[in-house]
Amino acid sequence: MPGDNAFGELIDEYVVECLPLAERAADALVELERRRRAGTGGEELLGSIEGWLHTVKGNSAMMGLAAIQEAAHVLEDLCAALADQRGPTGEALLALMVEGGGLLVDQVRGAPTGAAPEGSAAWLSRARERAGADHAGNGRGADRRRGERRRGGAESDGANVVRVDFRRLDTLLEVLGEGLIEQAALVEAFRRVSRRTAAVPGMPDLDRAILALEKTMKRLEEIVMATRLLPISTVFGRFPRLLRGVAEGEGKRVRLLMAGGDTALDKAVLDRLGEPLLHLLTNAVVHGIESPAERRRAGKPEEGVLSLAAISRSGRVAIEVADDGRGLDEERIRARAAAMGIEPGAEGADPQGLIFQPGFSTAESVSGLAGRGVGLDVAAAAVRALGGTIAVRSQGGQGSAFLLDLPLTLAIVRSLIVEVDQERYAVPIAQVVATVRADPKALHQINHRGVAVWRGDLIQVTDGGELLGTGSDVEPPGERRGRRFYVVISSGGRRRGILVDRLIGHMDVVVKGLDPALGRPDVVSGTTILGDGRVACILDPVRILEQRVPA
Amino acid sequence: MSGDALLRFADEVGAAGRPEAVPQAAELHLVTFALDREHYGIPVQRVREVIRVGEITRVPQAPEHVRGVTNLRGRILPVVELRSRLGLLPAVLTPRSRIVVTEAQGRVLGLLVDAVLQVTRIPADTVQPAPDDVMTPQADWLAGVARRPDRLLILLELDAVLQPQR
Repeated sequence: MPGDNAFGELIDEYVVECLPLAERAADALVELERRRRAGTGGEELLGSIEGWLHTVKGNSAMMGLAAIQEAAHVLEDLCAALADQRGPTGEALLALMVEGGGLLVDQVRGAPTGAAPEGSAAWLSRARERAGADHAGNGRGADRRRGERRRGGAESDGANVVRVDFRRLDTLLEVLGEGLIEQAALVEAFRRVSRRTAAVPGMPDLDRAILALEKTMKRLEEIVMATRLLPISTVFGRFPRLLRGVAEGEGKRVRLLMAGGDTALDKAVLDRLGEPLLHLLTNAVVHGIESPAERRRAGKPEEGVLSLAAISRSGRVAIEVADDGRGLDEERIRARAAAMGIEPGAEGADPQGLIFQPGFSTAESVSGLAGRGVGLDVAAAAVRALGGTIAVRSQGGQGSAFLLDLPLTLAIVRSLIVEVDQERYAVPIAQVVATVRADPKALHQINHRGVAVWRGDLIQVTDGGELLGTGSDVEPPGERRGRRFYVVISSGGRRRGILVDRLIGHMDVVVKGLDPALGRPDVVSGTTILGDGRVACILDPVRILEQRVPA
Repeated sequence: MSGDALLRFADEVGAAGRPEAVPQAAELHLVTFALDREHYGIPVQRVREVIRVGEITRVPQAPEHVRGVTNLRGRILPVVELRSRLGLLPAVLTPRSRIVVTEAQGRVLGLLVDAVLQVTRIPADTVQPAPDDVMTPQADWLAGVARRPDRLLILLELDAVLQPQR
């Protein structure tokens, strides 16, 4: 197994420790550049940057990573030189340092494989030259300042903070999950026994003990989940630097505003969130925000504004990625969709939702689409895979906003347990809007599809057995005996009713994955173990709603 | 083709050799079970345990030869409908039905069988390839046939059996 040898573990440790420092330094350099341009100082950042670089340099030296050590060292020297440099010379120097910061991050990240990022050697020789010139010029090197510097980095985290390998937290969660399943089994067994036996001495004690256990387990669950939460700023942090590069390449001027960085999410969610967010942001810079000339003509400031905001609300996190660019080109999107044979959703969902349709951007001539929408389906798929939803609001000429709604965690999902054809399924509560008694008189057939009037709207109602492959072909859907309820699920503005036999109850289910042997079902996202020890499949309402289920 | 499969099978059995028991010149150590009217064998080294059949939960849209999943002490165990994988009619569960828990490439999978018979050793020289006439391209799971005094024993190439089907 990789990572088993001592060096493997050490290098992992090294990356864990140094990558955040290198990233902080690189991000701070970008921030410094922004503030200098705006004329709002930022010089106090230099001390911290030097501190972080110094720690990276020291750790790299210990690991024998000479190239990284050298890069950090040169950057550190440049910091000292920069303090006195203003005007065009300072700007050029800072640009060189920003570039170096990005390369340093890549170098540290690539340390386990020893991969050197492209251009790092060329940068180093340019930077060395520059640093050398400054040394000779004013004799004021980095060495003097180094002594005055506050020690930066990991040591400053305080005595009450311990570092724990995240795999341990995963194991902890796994064990908690087993505990929750066993607790559910205990409760179920107790209920069975107490139904049959009337008054056995000690029964009330047992009842109380079980109640107490349930409370304690709930608290334990909350605490374990809390240890897994990280502020979303850990993902946001690298965006300014990455987008600066994109904007430069596109010849655009973009200011990135971020808010809600302290919003907390499970690390497992965060790890998979960076990519779709970056995708949305990059997309906004490339396709949303106009060139400075175009913006001037439109009467907008030359600098485009891109905003990224997160807020938590009742077990979910909402994230908005907005720009003040040209907005979606709906006509082109519609034409594109028509050409590809993609139809709008069953309920005539907003045409803007088309850009999230699977395959929207994977057709041959991706570059042929000048409007928005390139690759958004990929980002949308990633968000949905996390159990989230994505929507877009756009106004021509005014900009667009992408709204993401994500669960705090992937590990434990509050679910409604239903029964269809003797099989039990868990439906994540987040996507359940209602459970309705299925009155045969209120169910209709239109074009061989079940339809019901629900809260004044017509919604499609699908037979659960049909959807899950347990239905017989004998009886037409909607007329099957035993389907006494329908569950209304909703996601991304779409709704559908699913007919089920019984509603069993609510439960926090511990999510277990799908073995590859089970193929890739698109109505099921995972499995779980119920209180009676039986396995139940967890339905995936988001993907069910994406399908057009035949009659 | 079947000859190669047979060699691989022998390698597999041999490679997992037990140092304490001096391996008799090529002997196969097998778990045997019944499916329909035939007896089958797989290397004992690949079998983790044999369990009774509990609740098996269907998984929507799973491949045809997957019967479902079951709870193996808190783990989710996929259960392969071995009969349909081998082209037989799906099993009807009886009190003798068992799940043979096997390990393949780090994955743990259950095989649903009609009954488990025994753990046995057979001399390798009683094994021969299946007759060419019965081989088809789909029968890549067929490693060979062992002639026992009373009947034939069909040897399964486990990796081919457990290969996810398209």
